[in-house]
Order: sequence, then structure tokens, then C-alpha cells
Amino acid sequence: MESNAPYSAESMNLSFLSYLECSGCGEHYKHTELNTFCPICQSPLLSRYDLAAARRQVDRDAVIGRKKGMWRWHELLPVLNRENQIFLGEGDTPLLSLPHLEKELELSHLFVKDESSNPTGSFKARGLAAAVSKAKELGVEKVIIPTAGNAGGALAAYAARAGLQAHIFMPKDTPFANIEESRMAGADVTLVDGLISDAAGMAGEKARTEGWFDVSTFKEPYRVEGKKIMGYELAEAFDWQLPDVIVYPTGGGTGLVGMWKAFDELESLGWLENTKRPRMVSVQADGCAPVVKAFKEGASFCDFWINAHTIASGLRVPKSFADHLILQDIYESEGTAIAVSDESILDSQHQLAATEGIFAAPEGAATLAALKELIKQGWVDSEERIVLFNTGSGLKYLDYSSQ
Amino acid sequence: MNNNILYIEDNPDNMRLVQRALESRGYRLLQANNGLDGVQMAETEQVDLILLDINLPDIDGYEVARRLRSSQKRALASTPIIAVTANALKGDAERALDAGCDVYMSKPINIRELWARVEAFVPTP
Repeated sequence: MESNAPYSAESMNLSFLSYLECSGCGEHYKHTELNTFCPICQSPLLSRYDLAAARRQVDRDAVIGRKKGMWRWHELLPVLNRENQIFLGEGDTPLLSLPHLEKELELSHLFVKDESSNPTGSFKARGLAAAVSKAKELGVEKVIIPTAGNAGGALAAYAARAGLQAHIFMPKDTPFANIEESRMAGADVTLVDGLISDAAGMAGEKARTEGWFDVSTFKEPYRVEGKKIMGYELAEAFDWQLPDVIVYPTGGGTGLVGMWKAFDELESLGWLENTKRPRMVSVQADGCAPVVKAFKEGASFCDFWINAHTIASGLRVPKSFADHLILQDIYESEGTAIAVSDESILDSQHQLAATEGIFAAPEGAATLAALKELIKQGWVDSEERIVLFNTGSGLKYLDYSSQ
Repeated sequence: MNNNILYIEDNPDNMRLVQRALESRGYRLLQANNGLDGVQMAETEQVDLILLDINLPDIDGYEVARRLRSSQKRALASTPIIAVTANALKGDAERALDAGCDVYMSKPINIRELWARVEAFVPTP
């Protein structure tokens, strides 16, 4: 579909987006047309920017002084016309030190990137802000998403702001907050008897029959662009030297893949003080750990995880559409993948709240549970700069927290 | 040459995609667009691997897998079957494996993954 969006002279400087590239076969696609995933090999598409031009024209320090929020990195985001940027306050989440846990775990530099302060209470706001903005720019009117919860709430909010109709398919045991916030924002919500993969199947079918634009994880190119800004913010927070270890909960994997993409871009932009990269740790739950299994086997793809179950609904993804990218980035970073039990997630959730005052989502708490395992294994050094990711607010999971 | 792959699939777009992908690697693709034809083709042709859609217009993929595994053509008891489906309803993967499939893949079919899965059973010709 050809866009009707006006591409003003300003758009040339607003974004350096050049084209889309298939992550599997390398085929190029136009960013001025509506794309989903590669029709040739059915791999995700990634946005490619003219980084050489950006390197010449964008001053790293000028970005620091801009109004806070994700869009201050607009040259490295896909929206070409400023009026299409849908902003609800996403981005620039705090990087908090964890002094009590540092002491308890005998570490020197432990941090959490707390994504719960994003609109709708989770990191999903970043990806959906980018995807909805770009969809609007390309003339989309109706969007559809399968979700384990938080992505639905975020899509509903951004679609409402953008004037798009949102259709959301979520498992019926999705936290009540996610269902309610989606409905409150005017989305059409369908509860599915199954997992997110079941919801994805139904949403995909609906997208095909109704012609609604599917913003499923990695089935359109732009959610990962919003998520990658977490990597830019980390670089900035660490004075343009990246941390040593990033511990990240992995469902669909957009954040992990996005941050690794950000580090590639930052290197090409010449904005990093050195080229040392973090080791990426993918955290999953014992009851749904396809990436961990594939990593242990040295595989390039994940097997579909049978009977996925965990209290961390965002980790109940039996197989990500971008599994090969997740695994590739973990291998390249010399990182690892680790699964933790629901009991250890709940213990860590309590520990984070009781020691540091952070009521994390279970997915975020899982990163602390994983870190404790990594310490036991001697995988991290006490002097390393370690960043945990809390992807959302524990307040959205009161259904089970209060049980 | 043991490079015959039977794809039982009623969606012509998927059939074309897989045909292009596998033939580019030197495999020969046999095509059936419903379950009964698929079973018959497996029983009459020499087949080294079967790609099986679950949502078929006549008998579903589970029934196809069961018939293949209990076929009088004894080779079909051990011919690798890769189940492929878009509408992964609750328990579909378990049911596919219980019915005799060796691997479960969800659509959209990533071609690189398809190559890897097929090559694990049938080396590239």
C-alpha cells in the first residue's frame, strides 16, 4: 500500500530511515509502503537508516538536551513527519541503582532499568508508540494484535490517541488490568481460551480476512524500533560506554533484539566511547523456556514449547517469530539464557519491593531470580556493571499477587 | 536420490512458498491439497519426509498422521512428519506430536527454519 503521507523537507532530517531489510534473506523493501514481514522467506524486517549521514549531521550531545521522551531520538526512529509521532510520555525511564541488593549479593554496580514508568505501565508502550505512529503515517485505520497482556493495553492507548480502531486478542487468563485498560481505551477485546500463540493464530486469521493491520511482535517492522531506544538510553546513562551485562526477560524478544540493534547503530554512529558490548542474558521461566533450550542445544531456531505455563504472562511465548534473531544476538554477545522457577520469581518480586521499593512485574522480577543463579554459577563478576530490566509494574498483576 | 518431500496443504500460497524454497535446495516436492490425497500419495510414492498442514478441508492433519503411522506401507511408520499450522489452538502442538508427528512448526513458515528442519531429516541433495 502506497502512503499518502506528506514527506516534507523537514522529514529528511526528522528521520534517517532509508529502507527495510529482511533479517533472513537480506531483501530490501520500501519504508514508504506498508510492510509486514518478508514475503520471500517469512523473516522479520528491520529498519535501516543512513547512519553515515546521521553521523555527519546529528550531534550526540544535542540529543541529550532535547525534551525528554523516546522521540528525542527521532533521527533513529522511523516516523518521517513530526505530526505522526504519537507521544504519551514513553521513554526516558529511570536507571536506578540497587544499593541494598548490591550489598546482599556482593556486587559493586547493580542497576535496574525501570520500565514501569512508561505510559500504560510497561515497556510495551515504546514499541507500540513507534508502530502505531508509523501505521498512522502509512494510512492504516484498523490495527490488530495478539497479546499476553501489556501490549494490548499499550496498543489500545496509542491507537486511541492516534484515532485508529484497535482489535485485541488475549488469553482469557490475562491479568484483569490488561483487559480493562484495553476496553477502557475503546479497543475491541476478544478473550481466547489458550495461550498467546493461540491468540496469534486467531488474530492472524482475522487480519487476513478483514484486512486489519497486524502489529504482532516482529510481524511488522517498527515495534522493535521503539524498543531499541532502551539501548540508546542505556548508552547515554553509562556515559556512552555500555554496561557489562544486561539481564532481560524474553518472551517475544523485541527488547533484546532491539537493544542489540541499537548497539550496532551506536557503533556506526561513532557515539560510543569504546566498542565493548554487554553480554546479553535472556531470562525465561521454567514452564516456558524455548530460547533457553535452543541456546543449550546451540540451535538457530526454537522448538515450539509444549504446554507453556508460568505466572509471568509476558514470558508465556511458546515460540517467538524472531527466535533466530534472539539466539543470534545472545551468541554474538557471548551471553547466555537461563530459566527460573515461578517460586523464585515471586521471591524475587518480594525482595525487590521489600529491599528497594520497586514493585516489579513478574517478568522483571525474573531477572533478579536469574541474576542470583548467575552469581551461583560464577557467570558474573562482582565488579561488573549489571543492568536488570523491570519491564512493567507489579500493580498490573494484582490478580495473583493478592492470592 | 532420497529427496522426495510430500507437502499436504490446501493453501496455494503456502504451497508455492514451500515449493520455491525446497526446490531451490534440490528437493523434489510432491503436492497434495487435501488429507485423503496426501495419504494416498504417501502410500503410492516414495516419500522421504512429509510436511503436514493441520487444518485441511477433509480429514484434519491429526487423522492424516494417524493413518500414515498405521499404514500397511511399513516405511510410513518411520517417515519423518513435520506438522505445520497457522491456527495453533490450545493443545494443537501436543495433539500433533501425539498423532505421530515428529516436529511441530507454526506459520508463517520461516524458510531458513524450514530448511534446517528438513535438512535435519533429509540431507540437502
